[in-house]
Amino acid sequence: MAALDRLGWAAGLAFESYGLRLGVRVDRPDVLERVAGILPPGWRSRRSPVVDQLYSFVAGGAEGRMRRFSLAYAGSTRIARTPEMEEALGALASSLRLYVAEAARDRVFVHAGVVAWRGRAILLPGRSCSGKSRLVAALARAGASYYSDEYAVLDALGRVHPYPAPLCWRDEDDKTTRIPASELGEPAARPLRAGLVALARYQAGARWRPRALSPGRGMLALVANTIPARRDPRAVMSALKQVVSSAAVWEGLRGEAEETAPLLLQAAEPRSEVVA
Amino acid sequence: MKPRARVDDLVVEELEGETLVYDLQRDKAHCLNRTAARVWAYCDGRTSVAQMAARLGRELGQPIDAEVVWLALRQLDRARLIRPPLAAPEGGVMSRRAAVRRLGLAAALLPVVLSIVAPEAVEGASCNALVGRPNGCPCTLATQCASLRCIGNPKRCA
Repeated sequence: MAALDRLGWAAGLAFESYGLRLGVRVDRPDVLERVAGILPPGWRSRRSPVVDQLYSFVAGGAEGRMRRFSLAYAGSTRIARTPEMEEALGALASSLRLYVAEAARDRVFVHAGVVAWRGRAILLPGRSCSGKSRLVAALARAGASYYSDEYAVLDALGRVHPYPAPLCWRDEDDKTTRIPASELGEPAARPLRAGLVALARYQAGARWRPRALSPGRGMLALVANTIPARRDPRAVMSALKQVVSSAAVWEGLRGEAEETAPLLLQAAEPRSEVVA
Repeated sequence: MKPRARVDDLVVEELEGETLVYDLQRDKAHCLNRTAARVWAYCDGRTSVAQMAARLGRELGQPIDAEVVWLALRQLDRARLIRPPLAAPEGGVMSRRAAVRRLGLAAALLPVVLSIVAPEAVEGASCNALVGRPNGCPCTLATQCASLRCIGNPKRCA
């Protein structure tokens, strides 16, 4: 770290995200605005330069016939060394989000897409590339409120908080589709109880005919997608128990997102009261 | 044989008859269904297998063969949730399928312990990252993958 500290740092930004104090320093002031654009959703600027984790970013580029690498560090660990500055910024963004997801105070991050429907959250747990982003987009187009494309952020009561990162997915040919959260309707603000957890795995041609899982099995499936499962299992188990206590958990194969979205919304309708 | 449930380095949550257990030593999570959870609760180091079968029968409202308890104990042993390690009865422990066939039990009454290895945080990295993508993500270059391997058709990190 001392060697890094000796480099000339031209500007920096201290911020708070989910109870964590983070900082990014850069070697060129003009890069700071780019860095601010990749910070985790809901970050707030801090005046104090004291941070829990410090990131460093060296912007590369061409200087005459010389080409400098862009470098990114998390603490003293190098996380990117590439001639493409966008790649290094991407690595920085990814590392920042993952650090926040793992170490956030009083919040449990589950890898899942989330939308809200009739005052309840629908959680779509799944690893990257399991197709949840397209399903989230289809649900938002069908009238659900967008909460998150990446993480279900849970509090100790098991309520789901918005994490309005841009909705984003990568095609087989490595093209990225990005939809800003602002294009997906009114920004969500309040935390919601979960109404449905849908473990929907994409398979071309499949039709959504899910089976209900017991709360225990549902909770196990959520643990498998929880970022701080190893770091803070007590908080994780407690929060997930709250989720499966209030939500139905369904599992099954699904086909195209546009076909599945209305079926999910139908399943998430609050049950009507039976009047005797 | 009077097994004792392990209590150290475990986080335990009960859920409508099921029990969720997180093993802090091995970073594994286990889901014990109702029958397995009952048997685990009986493991106090003083109760024999025959006594467990009798108690289970009373709680479930039908006679339960000791084989069912052995089936639960074998799974709990594999999950390292009982001590000492299980010494199986002579002739071994019957399989779930054999228990359904021979004992005429409904499958729902059979003990089940499901286990997973808790994910490491890095497994939560996004496919949308330009580098450090986890396995299974689409890729065009090896340097995009955390594993530095981009193979197959279509290409994916592996």
